[in-house]
Amino acid sequence: MNNGPPTSLQGRLVTLVLAVVVTVWLATAAMTWFDARHELDELLDSHLAQAAALLVVQQTHEMHEIDRDGEGIDAPSLHRYAPKVAFQVFHEGRLALRSANAPAVALVERDKGFKTGFATVQIAGLTWRVFATHGGERDVQVYVGEQASSRASILWAVLHSTLWPMALALPLLALAVWWAVYQGVKPMRRLGRALAERPAQALHPVRVEGITSEMVPMVNALNGLFERIGTLLESERRFTADAAHELRTPIAAIRVQAQVALGETDDALRRDALRRTLDGCDRATRLVEQLLTLSRLEANATPTLAEVDLRTLVQQVVAELAPRAIGKNQSLEFEATEPCSLPGNEALLVALARNLVDNALRYSPPFARVRVSVLQHAGRVELLVEDSGPGLAETDSRRLGERFFRVPGSGESGSGLGWSIVRRIAAVHQLEIEVNRSAALGGLAVHVSGQGGRQTG
Amino acid sequence: MRILLAEDDPLIGEGLRAGLRQLGFHVDWVRDGEAAERELRAHPYAAAVLDLGLPLKDGMDVLIEVRRAGSAVPVLVLTARDAVPDRIRGLNIGADDYVIKPVDLHELAARLRALIRRAHGQPQERLRIRDVVLDPAARTVQLEGESVALSAREFDLLHVLMLHADQVLSREQLEQHLYSWGREVESNAIEVHIHNLRRKLGAALIHTVRGVGYILPRDSKK
Repeated sequence: MNNGPPTSLQGRLVTLVLAVVVTVWLATAAMTWFDARHELDELLDSHLAQAAALLVVQQTHEMHEIDRDGEGIDAPSLHRYAPKVAFQVFHEGRLALRSANAPAVALVERDKGFKTGFATVQIAGLTWRVFATHGGERDVQVYVGEQASSRASILWAVLHSTLWPMALALPLLALAVWWAVYQGVKPMRRLGRALAERPAQALHPVRVEGITSEMVPMVNALNGLFERIGTLLESERRFTADAAHELRTPIAAIRVQAQVALGETDDALRRDALRRTLDGCDRATRLVEQLLTLSRLEANATPTLAEVDLRTLVQQVVAELAPRAIGKNQSLEFEATEPCSLPGNEALLVALARNLVDNALRYSPPFARVRVSVLQHAGRVELLVEDSGPGLAETDSRRLGERFFRVPGSGESGSGLGWSIVRRIAAVHQLEIEVNRSAALGGLAVHVSGQGGRQTG
Repeated sequence: MRILLAEDDPLIGEGLRAGLRQLGFHVDWVRDGEAAERELRAHPYAAAVLDLGLPLKDGMDVLIEVRRAGSAVPVLVLTARDAVPDRIRGLNIGADDYVIKPVDLHELAARLRALIRRAHGQPQERLRIRDVVLDPAARTVQLEGESVALSAREFDLLHVLMLHADQVLSREQLEQHLYSWGREVESNAIEVHIHNLRRKLGAALIHTVRGVGYILPRDSKK
């Protein structure tokens, strides 16, 4: 991530497009240069060779008559490049004939031995392209040379005519590219404006006219995010309202009962009110504990898991809650044949089992039966809590696990959080929960099942 | 004053009933919305304390139904929900007061008394008719500036008659105002209390309309 000020997309695109265009142009120019030079060399070389051939043919007939000592013949200048073309004819080692612009020395040093063909030589600071050949007779050498600068100037002229319009067109092209990119990124700009103009709290979906297909995933992702945040905020708002409601209720009860105790003159009635005040305190304590459990669960999504023996763990929970059952004249049974290990967090699984057994005791009438079993079959471990209580209506069992949902008319003062905790713990352990009617006891049956651990099966 | 308490939480309901009784109210306690609506239609309560989150029928719905049926009974909504939209909605659909839990018992009683007083067009806390002054909060009665000792039932009967001054109330109506359910009312109880009130406050205060009931006129010109 770049920490500097953000670069403009428009600027980037224009720069990139122009850089590519200029690069391609330069490459084209370079190719033109090499190609033109090669073609030019071939063409002009062939002209040199042809000129030499003409000279050779002429010399064969005229050599003897015009054998004047190195005298220059001014070949007529028929073209603007003509002065740059020169020839020399040597006869028996002497310069027999040369054009006026030809140097007095041999175009190719002869002491190195005579070679026919093309050569590039430096004479008096000038570069020459020379074609050497034998005349009709053995002792006649013909040199036709051309100054390299003429070739360069031709080449330049060719390149010039190609590059000049390009160079002229470049600023125009830059403008055109800038305009095109400006038009192209308009939807982006519109989206940016629409986002900038949104109030910070707004969570309604972003709608921009004429967005491009590339922007659709972006806008969709953004709208999805807004929606999720909205849902989250709504659920948080509801949670806060519900939590306030649930926390106030026991406090209201404590306060009222305490005031009743204060105002009561009858001793027995006052003791009664004080006892109820304590009940309210217990309820508030339980609610706060449940809230804390839930918030810890939600804060720490991945607790450490280790091999846990479900049988031992559930047995302890049942033992812990047995006095409650006895107090309500309920029968609480525990059944498990063998150790059942599964990967889990002991404290959380204890909370899960305690909530389920506690619910069964709480919402079953006196003299009801509550049976807790730990079973395993086919590598799966199951905790089953059944009761002979009234069970649940279909609509109510679907709402179990909503925070603060309490089965209406149950007359019990639960926190409404037990099932939220159970579901959360089950999710953390990847356990499945099934709620139905107990075939054996007639009341509610809660099955919690999951993949067993190493020692199981 | 006989009031209806609709509250599903056993601990709070129990406490409010006991506490309001200590403060001189006769409290009928119901635990669900349907019972609340039925009782409000059936009896002339001086006021009702309504929890919103009631089973079977939400408190708001109870209030809407009761108001639609034409009842003007003062309703105090008692709830743990303090969100402003909830409060506005509650007041809009006809609640007379909106109190957030937890509430002070004495404050609740004072608010109920104020609601009852206002429902009878009574701006002052104390009721005064001729030489008789009744203080509902202190539960005291004065005659020509002198305190008069009344039993709880006599006080309540006088309170009802003073609130409904210039209206003839039958014996049955008075019984309904004075006794919460489950209290055995002796057939001549009202006559006995009227007799005692006349003895303590003067025979001219309460008139008997033969065959109909009793009336406490505002002015003595008769």
